[in-house]
Amino acid sequence: MRVGIAGVGFMGSTHAAAWAETDATIVGFVAETVEEAQPIAQQYGAKVFAEYAAMLEEVDVVDICTPTHLHVPMILEAAARGKHVICEKPLALSTEDALKAVQACRQAGVHLFVAHVVRFFPEYALAKQLIDQGQIGRIATLRLLRGSYRPKKPVGNWFLDEKKSGGILMDLMIHDLDYARWVAGEVESVFARKVSAVHQGSPVDYGLVILKHRNGALSHVAGAWAYPPPTFRTRFELSGDRGMIEFDSQATSPIESLIIKSHAEAPDVGLPSSPVRESPYTTEIKEFYAALKESKTPRVTAEDGLAAVQIAAAAVQSAQSGQVIYLESLGEGRL
Amino acid sequence: MSIRIGIMSFAHLHAEGYIQNLRAIPGVEMIGLADDDPQRGEHFARLFGAHRFRSYEELLEAKPDGVVICAENSRHLPLVKLAAETGAHILCEKPLATTVQDAEEIVRTCRQAGVLLMTAFPMRFSTPLLEVKSRLDGGELGQVYCFNSSNQGELPKRHRAWFVDKALAGGGAIMDHTVHLVDIMRWYLGSEVNEVYAVANRIFHADEVDVETGGMVWVTFENGVFATIDCSWSRPPYWPSWGGLSFEMVTERGAVWVDAFRQNLTVFTHTLQRPYWAFWGSDPNQAMLEDFVQAIRAQRPPRVSGEDGLRAVEVVEAAYQSVQSGQPVRLQRRAL
Repeated sequence: MRVGIAGVGFMGSTHAAAWAETDATIVGFVAETVEEAQPIAQQYGAKVFAEYAAMLEEVDVVDICTPTHLHVPMILEAAARGKHVICEKPLALSTEDALKAVQACRQAGVHLFVAHVVRFFPEYALAKQLIDQGQIGRIATLRLLRGSYRPKKPVGNWFLDEKKSGGILMDLMIHDLDYARWVAGEVESVFARKVSAVHQGSPVDYGLVILKHRNGALSHVAGAWAYPPPTFRTRFELSGDRGMIEFDSQATSPIESLIIKSHAEAPDVGLPSSPVRESPYTTEIKEFYAALKESKTPRVTAEDGLAAVQIAAAAVQSAQSGQVIYLESLGEGRL
Repeated sequence: MSIRIGIMSFAHLHAEGYIQNLRAIPGVEMIGLADDDPQRGEHFARLFGAHRFRSYEELLEAKPDGVVICAENSRHLPLVKLAAETGAHILCEKPLATTVQDAEEIVRTCRQAGVLLMTAFPMRFSTPLLEVKSRLDGGELGQVYCFNSSNQGELPKRHRAWFVDKALAGGGAIMDHTVHLVDIMRWYLGSEVNEVYAVANRIFHADEVDVETGGMVWVTFENGVFATIDCSWSRPPYWPSWGGLSFEMVTERGAVWVDAFRQNLTVFTHTLQRPYWAFWGSDPNQAMLEDFVQAIRAQRPPRVSGEDGLRAVEVVEAAYQSVQSGQPVRLQRRAL
């Protein structure tokens, strides 16, 4: 299987490392400029493509790790050429665009997998497994939190451009919105607020979302771009009628560093990390790879990616309008 | 001269703490208790070696300077009326009432009778929460943007059956666990709530009770601050404590995480066969009762007012309206 990777930022390089652990061949990379892609291509003994279209000619699957606003046009182009697609989350910035991407891939008969990597993090995967085993009974309330600092970029910080990233609700909180739906099922209504919608130009951002699921469960999702670098903290508390599961990345961190540093360096984007044998990103890519090879369904599908966009887009709309957003069913009729 | 205090009703379990708090205050004479449930009254009178008056009227005839009312939520108003008539100052358990109408009448009754009215919001006296308040007032945290807060607990039914009886408690988790955080935020912000949105369900203990056991309340303040309050009875009975109160406060300079009950020892004992938390922090109830007594002594307003109690009840009532309609509710604040 021949893979082409689009985008060479943090996610592109992380996915490349994951692909390197499969039997697939990384054919090449494409980035905004040829220069940007040069070092990583060299590292993996792969080509640099000047054009995305040229890369598509030489691969079986394309892994799209570009800024969010570029996802859908790139998916449509890949589908038109009959190439399988793995796409970074969020799938799109609007439900309509996400639908378009899913439909195009269906019609072209190619797979589309959306990289909601949280489902592959061992703590989140285990909690889901325990719930599926019935250990805490019927889900009643979920609380999820993901917090870090505002992503910084040396140039052109697309994360902070809401038109390109969708902002904190779409870019950061979609992880937990997807997870809440995975655990508690389809969502009926969404109510959300975020700091940057109330205070234009605020130095930090923070979002809160309350979901009502169709089965009556309630989810509370919080996301922060408000903490001092290099903080990245995740927490969850999943409560059912027969028990509860809680997790705190800080409380379960097996190493606490009290080393004196003259100055603290922080990566551009805050990242979760706990020492585990295999990176969750690698687990994810391996599962997608196996799904492509053996035509199996991975734990996160195109439809899940679409549903996550629908919830996050409703949150964005709710935060803007102050209204409760009731979701339309995205059943087979629309697909 | 000692300040003489009596306790009216032991329906609320907090009375069990308050009686000991009162006795620990120098210059206070705890004159005894009365309860409309004679068995309950007798039980606690024996347990604490306290005098039991045969009726509330008899307790009030003993001319206490102040009374602590720990009746069921919906029975606060008649006891407040009785006590206020005799000129006794009042500390009333939270929520002040189960309806805005009752809460308003409680406040007006006390005002007309010229007696002090304090709502039992002990979190105003919690030392971690006071520390945060002083950092806020000192300006080191900058402007507040929002709160992500929880006041979760176990099903209170095993403490007192009436906690899950709608007629007596006024509701379930929303009635029980919304008011503390609303009050803390009003106190921190000096701003009033103008919009409420709430969702609720009954999945925890669905076969045991018919009030809501899961709830999330969203409040927005006039100054633009928004906040969520998880008021669910989501803690299992084998949780290391009854529950807790915690929040994340986000400001222009980052965030502060506050847990009012984190000053604990984790204890593992053969007797319980599971860990539990033993609190070693300062008892906020003690400080609250001391303030009540000092307010009586100095004839000054207590640090938490009846109006504070009313404002919290307004939010609760709006939350129930929002659960019904599925829409945010604009808060109508009563003029006092």
